[in-house]
Amino acid sequence: MRKRLSLLAVLLLSMGWVFAQQKTVTGKVVDAQNQPVPFASVKIRSSKAGVSADADGKFIIKAKVGDFLVISSTGTSPAEVQVGSDNSIIVTLKGAKTSLDEVVVTALGVAKSRNRVAYAAQTISGADVSDNRTFDIAQSMSGKIAGAQISQSNTIGGSTNVILRGYKSITGDNQALFVIDGTPVNNNNTNTTTQMTGGGGYDYGSPISDLNPDDIASITVLKSAAATALYGSRASNGVILITTRKGSNGLNVVVNTAVKKGWYDKSTFPKYQYQYGAGYAAQYGVGTSDPFQPYFYSYTGKQGLGPLVPTTEDASYGAAFDPTLMVYQWDAIDPTSPYYQTERPWVAAKNGPATYLESPVSNSQSILITNSNANGSYKFGYTRDNENGILPNSNEQKSIFTFGATYNLLKNLQVGGEANYYDLPTIGRYGTGYSGQDQPNPMMEFREWWEMNVDMKELKDAYFRTANMPIEGNTTWNWGNPSQVSKPAYWDNPYFWRYQSYESDNRKRLIGNVNAKWDATSWLTFTGRVSLDQYHWLQEERTNTASVAVSKYTKFTDDFYERNVDLMANLHKNISNAFNLSALVGANLRRSEDATTSATTNGGLALPGVWSLANSAANPEAAIETDQIREINGLYASATLTYNDFLTLDGSLRRDVSSTLPKGNNVYYYPSIALGFVFSKLLPDLTWLSYGKLSANFAEVGADAPVYSVYDTYKILTPYTGNPVGSLQTTKNNALLKPERTKSPEADLELAFLNNRLGLTASYYSEKTIDEIIAVTISASTGYNYQYQNAGSMQNKGLELSLTGTPVKTRDIQWDIRVNWSRNRNTVLELYKDASGAEAKDLQIGAFPFGPSLNAPLHGAYGQIRGSDFIYTNGKPTVDATGAYKKTPDENEPIGSTQPDWIGGINNSLRVKDFTLSFLVDWRKGSSIFSLDQDFGQYDGLYPNTAGNNANGKPKRSALSDGGGVILPGVTADGKANTQYIDASYAGSAYGFGAAPDKNFVYDGSFVKLREVILSYSLPKKLLASTKSIKGVQLSLIGHNLWIIHKNLPMADPEAGTSFGNISGFQSGAYPSVREASVNLKVNF
Amino acid sequence: MKIFNRTLLIAPILVLLLSGCTKDLTKLNNDPKNPTNISYNALFTRAQFRLSFLLNNADYDYNPQNFFEQYWQETTYLNESQYDILYRGIPDLDWNVLYLDVLANLVRSDSLAKLQITDAGTLASVHAQIDITEVQAFYYLVTTYGNVPYTDAFKIASTNFPRYDDAMTIYKDLLRRLTADIAALNGGGDGVGSADQVYGGDNTSWTKYANSMLLRMGILLADVDNATAQAAVEAAAPHVFTSNADNAYFSYTTSPPYVNPIYGFMTLGSRFEDFDACSTFITQLLSNSDPRLPLYFTTQSDTQTTYSGLPPGVGGGYFGNSNPNPTLIAADFRGDFLDYAEVEFYLAEAAARGYNVNGTADAFYKNGVEASILQWGGSQADADAYYAQVSVNYTSATGTWQQRIGTQAWIALYNRAWDAWTETRRLGYPVLPAPTHAVSTFPYRFTYPVTETNVNSVNVAAAATAIGGDLRTTKLFFVKQ
Repeated sequence: MRKRLSLLAVLLLSMGWVFAQQKTVTGKVVDAQNQPVPFASVKIRSSKAGVSADADGKFIIKAKVGDFLVISSTGTSPAEVQVGSDNSIIVTLKGAKTSLDEVVVTALGVAKSRNRVAYAAQTISGADVSDNRTFDIAQSMSGKIAGAQISQSNTIGGSTNVILRGYKSITGDNQALFVIDGTPVNNNNTNTTTQMTGGGGYDYGSPISDLNPDDIASITVLKSAAATALYGSRASNGVILITTRKGSNGLNVVVNTAVKKGWYDKSTFPKYQYQYGAGYAAQYGVGTSDPFQPYFYSYTGKQGLGPLVPTTEDASYGAAFDPTLMVYQWDAIDPTSPYYQTERPWVAAKNGPATYLESPVSNSQSILITNSNANGSYKFGYTRDNENGILPNSNEQKSIFTFGATYNLLKNLQVGGEANYYDLPTIGRYGTGYSGQDQPNPMMEFREWWEMNVDMKELKDAYFRTANMPIEGNTTWNWGNPSQVSKPAYWDNPYFWRYQSYESDNRKRLIGNVNAKWDATSWLTFTGRVSLDQYHWLQEERTNTASVAVSKYTKFTDDFYERNVDLMANLHKNISNAFNLSALVGANLRRSEDATTSATTNGGLALPGVWSLANSAANPEAAIETDQIREINGLYASATLTYNDFLTLDGSLRRDVSSTLPKGNNVYYYPSIALGFVFSKLLPDLTWLSYGKLSANFAEVGADAPVYSVYDTYKILTPYTGNPVGSLQTTKNNALLKPERTKSPEADLELAFLNNRLGLTASYYSEKTIDEIIAVTISASTGYNYQYQNAGSMQNKGLELSLTGTPVKTRDIQWDIRVNWSRNRNTVLELYKDASGAEAKDLQIGAFPFGPSLNAPLHGAYGQIRGSDFIYTNGKPTVDATGAYKKTPDENEPIGSTQPDWIGGINNSLRVKDFTLSFLVDWRKGSSIFSLDQDFGQYDGLYPNTAGNNANGKPKRSALSDGGGVILPGVTADGKANTQYIDASYAGSAYGFGAAPDKNFVYDGSFVKLREVILSYSLPKKLLASTKSIKGVQLSLIGHNLWIIHKNLPMADPEAGTSFGNISGFQSGAYPSVREASVNLKVNF
Repeated sequence: MKIFNRTLLIAPILVLLLSGCTKDLTKLNNDPKNPTNISYNALFTRAQFRLSFLLNNADYDYNPQNFFEQYWQETTYLNESQYDILYRGIPDLDWNVLYLDVLANLVRSDSLAKLQITDAGTLASVHAQIDITEVQAFYYLVTTYGNVPYTDAFKIASTNFPRYDDAMTIYKDLLRRLTADIAALNGGGDGVGSADQVYGGDNTSWTKYANSMLLRMGILLADVDNATAQAAVEAAAPHVFTSNADNAYFSYTTSPPYVNPIYGFMTLGSRFEDFDACSTFITQLLSNSDPRLPLYFTTQSDTQTTYSGLPPGVGGGYFGNSNPNPTLIAADFRGDFLDYAEVEFYLAEAAARGYNVNGTADAFYKNGVEASILQWGGSQADADAYYAQVSVNYTSATGTWQQRIGTQAWIALYNRAWDAWTETRRLGYPVLPAPTHAVSTFPYRFTYPVTETNVNSVNVAAAATAIGGDLRTTKLFFVKQ
């Protein structure tokens, strides 16, 4: 009764406690290596009263002098210590395991023993994300976490998408929340909708990539709602908890230095035809007296009147190459060219587009100093990563300054703080998607609009030859007027883009916190923390005056600020010999502010190359501003009751008040309940079973609305000669919004066999979001395109398996395998319905350029690609009487799905004495990609299938009357195989858009990639024994993205083209994947 | 020490909880950058600008009629030249401009005016000018799509699934509204004032403009409801434009954003190379030595004096064919809503049909031809010489009055492809050759937007049935079947 009373007292935050006559002993449990042993049981032998050590091995117990303390932990024999005059003791448990498996960091940083965790939580080590030296934590997790779909773009500093257990929200960004030592880290993305849906733009990347991999001790991924409910709505897509390195006993210095070389993967770059050059068709000079029609214009140069290449065009459906034919090329027009007014043989270029790609060398260095003693601990760190991209003039630098310290102010009061400063200047991000000349994507040119007679090296020479002339190097193959120096028809010189029309940006960021931890009693701890995440991000985009596009300078700034105040009381107590209770109550105050300003010049630049808003030719339009503020106040409590360390009941409740919902509807609760049963404890006779746990949990999570979705506003536009101009917004807000809900049941099974040599974890989940707050598409005749509604319901059901094994384990040789596998099945259960039962059948998530769109179809799976399809007969594409494909009359047919069938990763680590070889194979099965590159590239006649001979041995591109043409694979309306030749003599006649529906360019996005290979050698300890200062030396050879073992998408990387958010399944101007090899030296002092 | 500890603990908790409980977080829902109120005329300007954007465009994303009418052709991306309007989702884009950018802002402008204007006379003329612009937008909706949401439109408080109304019923209501608006314009004052970029709100000009619209809208029904057509035309005829000085031009500025959309697309978007003149139109202009040829187009190249165009549906080089004349690509080139030449052709038709419009078809036709040449910068001598030709003169040109008026209206409505398309569909002239690789026969309407079929599927399906199928070849209510 007294214990119950005291429990009650604690919950009421009462300070009364008993046992006054005893003395307080503080202690720490460590293993043979002096590393803390968490959660050891500490009992007084005589009274059986006891406590548990915390995650750091520390404990506080009331005892009398002479008492014997019995300290025990899983898998060890107990140790005994007698309490003497000392008030602090250190207990060494020999043979104790400190493997990560034994401790699980759960929500709010609460470490629990594995036995007491009743939901899925997968942990990887800091080495998993730092040893590969990619300096992108999110990317480095790919293939290492079951149920995490991590996709990366191939651009420098590009976005990484981290989706746990499928897309839960129809219109949200679905990104997992990263929390570093209790501080949530902002991962807001500034990419435009146009960029994300495959239009033009730069991929400004995910701010989560700022984090320093070298400062990470471990990462725990909490996937289920029950595990994350304490974080509130922002954790609705799962949480990735990062624990940074802490100072442990004594001074420790780790230095890393690496050099990296990158080169593009040829299997992800176009293969071209080399038989035909510039032009769309036999159509130039037709109807005139031009002597060189229909493939050439005419020009008089040094060799007299001769054929002139149609440089106004950007396709390779022109004249067949013929080395005996002398023609005036684009460079014959360039007065600075050695070939000025000079004819050259009509042949395919020696140096194709691949010549443009560089093989950059990058380097990185880092140092981390940690130290601790009885008074506290500290760490200092500096990391610098200098990455060069495969495009000319691309570079990304990261400088990270780390400082953290703790100090024991009083015996039981620890204060600490941490500050990380990040400076991330980037220059020359790659233009992506179907871009314009103002955010240029050279790959779009190389994959979609190119002339095979154009020599890249000559273009490079032309750029540098004329860079200081008034045309700023824009001497291009694509003259608008082929017979004179003129503004380009469509395309600037690709080197002009990189050096004259480039972007740059710089993010300066501070993430830090101050905290205090007070061990009020042996079983009650109070923690307070104020944390901050703040950055200023400047983005500048440029287009110089010689461009075919209107010259421009755009300046965008994003000022982000988030402050969290947390206060938490943790209770940790053995109520009786059998029952242990750990509980917490807390409060969280969160405020975030995000202000952006975008200003751009108007009507071009007055002076070339002056990147200033004042250099605007016309008065600049007003800057576009946004200012978003959100506050959420949360109160939470949770309790975990454990019986005999094998049966755990866990419950939690959080209450949030959010600023983004209307009054009266802005309070919501998140209950969760979980039950865990370590059945192996009851089966001690099954010696082959090392561990067995079954758990089940359920949580209901709420979420608030996007900022400013309650009240209607007007949009203010540029005044028209002094008259105000404004507009309704395209989205109708909703003053009746209520919180959305996600219901998530989950069941987990965790097994280990043969002394933990073999382990299996399986999770099954079924998450259902209801009342989802989405801006539903509505008929524009309502006056709006979208309306915020509590509409929509989506379900994700899935299975995650992870398997660990150690097939070989001797003193000198150890082989470890980790396998992760997951599948997720998504169903859109409901979109939007009104009271009369009228119902929306589809919600378009994004419209890609040129036809296809990505959709959430009612009763179907999220991420359906729609476009035009074939008309099928007996399952085969049907052709009409002329031999051409028949197409659906609309562009709204399902032609693919971006949902993978399953994803997985296999990681092998083989250690032989001082050598360790590890390699990771990353696997995705299924998911469709629409390739605009293939659609347009085939239309343009760039690819080998559009040239060569037909079945009759005649050139396909010859006229039908000359035996040319092709038979498209398919059947006639009566089901017979197609035998009709169609004309293939001009762009779009037989290949590419126009000739085939969108469906023809939908490919299977499956891949098997050798993601990582790391071979490292550690200098034998014996060798180092002589030098007192050096504790360890490790030399590593690292390969990244070395080999795409299997893929079905031709000429491109199935992962390329991904931006931030929910849009995938589209490629335009996809970048090749970059193979990287690096050498890293790590020295531990 | 314990006191210190307790204070340390309790104080922040109290501060935290008190601050969390007292503050009204919902105040943060007020967006500091976007106002909750606005003046009615700010919305009017936006609506008028977007209407002009749609009607005076060259972008193949919005204006395929330019290719249907074979004024221009696409050099490289031939979809629209071959009648494919779905590739770029044109029905969705144009529908959104009309409903969202134009009508939604006008409807709201109208309701705000009632709150913001106290003087009854001013309010009457403001309402009339807003309503006339609404009628204009609905005119394009029904003549482009057929049945569209009308009664249920802009009633988001009651339905998000608007039903479609019968196009003819809508059309008659538009005629009724327009007639009422004309009466209301007598109030004097300057209506929406400087918010109007066409007439600065001048009621006298608006009266002529609204009557000219009534003339156009009346004549549209001549083949299907002659009585209604005749009544509207005869009511309007005495009050319509009488010279090019009356023309309804939206005035653009020389720097973005208020620039002519042709400049916006071709110059700012650098898409010059995507268009050539169409050979059909060039041949027509050449056949009568039309003085507008050099005003409409460039020569084949800087060094040549000849003109040529691409055959319909066939690609070709930008270089070596005639291109749109730089005058109409100027940033501040007029946005033409309705002009005097066009009015004269409607009157000519009315006279030819025997309506009482106080003149002969011959005279109106001649005025129309002359007005067009002068409007484009030709001289009176040019006009006289042109009209003197047997193939042009109303009395001697070949064909029915439909053919003669249709052909000259087509030439005059260059750069006005929305209206030219309506005339071609209505009169059946000019007869335009089928483009190579056309995906259908001549388009008589736009199909309904994909968005409507996805989100308002029941109502759009009913509308499709009612009009005879959601096809681009379905003939709309005003076309004699």
